[in-house]
Amino acid sequence: MNSPNLPVVPDGSRLTPGELQAVVFARAALGRRGYDEDEVRGFLQYVERELVQILNERSSLAEEVDRLRTQLSKGGPGVMAPEDAHFQAVRILSQAQQTADLYVADAERYTRELAHEARLHREAILTDAKGRAEHLLEDAHRRAAEVADAAVRSGPPAPVPADAPGTPVLAGAGAPAPSRLPEEERRRMEQEITYLRTYSDVYRTHLRSYLEALLRNVDEWEDSERSSLPPAPRRP
Amino acid sequence: MDAQRLKASFARVAEQGDAVAMFFYADLFVRNPHLRDMFPVGMSGQRDKLLRALGHIVSRVDDLPNLLPFVQQLGRDHRRFGIVAEHYPQVGASLVATLRHFSGADWSEELAADWQAAYGLVAKVMQEAADEDALTSPAWWNGQVVGVERRRFDIAVLRVQPDRPLPYLPGQSVAVEVPARLRHWRYYSMANAPRPDNTVDFHVKLVDGGPVSTVLVRSTQTGDRIRMGAPIGTLTLDESSRRDVLLVAGSTGLAPLKAILEQLVRRPAPPRVHLFFGARDRDALYDLEDLTKLAQRHPWLTVVPAVSDESAGHGFSALLQSGGGEVEHGNLPDVVARRGPWDDHDAYVCGSPEMVGRTAERLTRLGVDRARVRLETYADAQR
Repeated sequence: MNSPNLPVVPDGSRLTPGELQAVVFARAALGRRGYDEDEVRGFLQYVERELVQILNERSSLAEEVDRLRTQLSKGGPGVMAPEDAHFQAVRILSQAQQTADLYVADAERYTRELAHEARLHREAILTDAKGRAEHLLEDAHRRAAEVADAAVRSGPPAPVPADAPGTPVLAGAGAPAPSRLPEEERRRMEQEITYLRTYSDVYRTHLRSYLEALLRNVDEWEDSERSSLPPAPRRP
Repeated sequence: MDAQRLKASFARVAEQGDAVAMFFYADLFVRNPHLRDMFPVGMSGQRDKLLRALGHIVSRVDDLPNLLPFVQQLGRDHRRFGIVAEHYPQVGASLVATLRHFSGADWSEELAADWQAAYGLVAKVMQEAADEDALTSPAWWNGQVVGVERRRFDIAVLRVQPDRPLPYLPGQSVAVEVPARLRHWRYYSMANAPRPDNTVDFHVKLVDGGPVSTVLVRSTQTGDRIRMGAPIGTLTLDESSRRDVLLVAGSTGLAPLKAILEQLVRRPAPPRVHLFFGARDRDALYDLEDLTKLAQRHPWLTVVPAVSDESAGHGFSALLQSGGGEVEHGNLPDVVARRGPWDDHDAYVCGSPEMVGRTAERLTRLGVDRARVRLETYADAQR
């Protein structure tokens, strides 16, 4: 009967503030010395307050841990060490740079291919033009030779040198002795003049129409280029 | 500072190639966002340059007499990019961070100290060279285009008036930047000996897909502005030599050789000079008219034009082409070899890397002392 009504704390559970309040100490036996009752009560109240505070803190910490756990499992915006944040930024910037490099390389390859095609196109046009020019010259030559031939045949009868048509010899044209200009020589020169006149006429006509066609081509090209480009801003 | 340790450390890091430079620039720009504007949008070329320069420096870190001129030139070169003293520690911090990141477990306090010491030294030499250069020369020259001659659909001759005198030796070149392609610098040779009015000529050939050459050839107009770096280059006339001179130019590789030719014209007694000017076809010999006039005025000068992709021609085509006078047919090395011997000449060669390499090799085989052959390739530097 002398034992105090001490809180019974079974294994696994903890002392509660309520149990502290309910503690009652038996009075000391008469003649024996005991603690001051008020002091004991005061101390017990102090311990109780402390216990309440500790328990409150503990439960708020548990809540915080739960909150962080949930956040982590949801993958929400975590708090990152500055070091990691820096690497993250470096990684993102590197990726952006790689994308930019890719675009630049693509654009460069595209212009390179475009320019290359244009160059091939130009060469084809030039080859074609050279072929045409050759054709024009040959045509002019042929027709001039024919005309000269005809002129000789329709003129007064005279022996025509076998090699005369089509083989103008310019070097000999200005040099005959003025004293006696043989009839044959005069005829040859006339024939040559007729040849050259016709040759240049035919050639000029051909060339003019060809150049006009080319100019039209260039105009069309310019027009289509202008309409495909946005208006260029004026440079200062 | 332990040179061997540095070399081994760099070798390990450099194995990871482009990723290293990628990390370095990203780190630099994350720490100092304002530096991003000093670089072009596309950075692949820039990363190559960085790795090459680092490799060059580290491989010679224990050979200072050979390393110093390179680092000093690097310092002077960086002036035109607007690099100033405050940028050096920023670059250093990112460089060490990059090395640490890629070294992984190999990183140590000693290694960090080695790299910091090495970078500090390089930065100091670069800055001192830049500061010394700043006493006599601006960081860059502003220029105004005062003449544009389109010689062919893909070749233009530009005349530029610098805002202040631009002292250079004939044969040297400058890095050029156009406003339409900021941060893209391409090297072009001055195609004339220095003039009293300071104007310089550039011969520009359009490189397919090249960002700068396309702008220069296709859309540059009189009045446009460009920026130029300090003149550099060693393809210059050997003034001490009295030997005859052989100039071999492929396409716009003519520019530096024409400047050298103009320098020779000014000599009271010029040596005999042969200038070979080659291109693929006849209309790519864009400066032949002017060269022919020079040759007519100066009996000591022989100009030999050569085309490689055109046959000698026949019939009416030959008649059509005969306006341009006589040209040789074949590749430049062959044409040059046909006109030899050249073993008593000083040779100057400029053009595509392939043409320059083969010409130099051929000349050596023909008995020309390799030390008497000066050459330069325009390669990628002009895109």
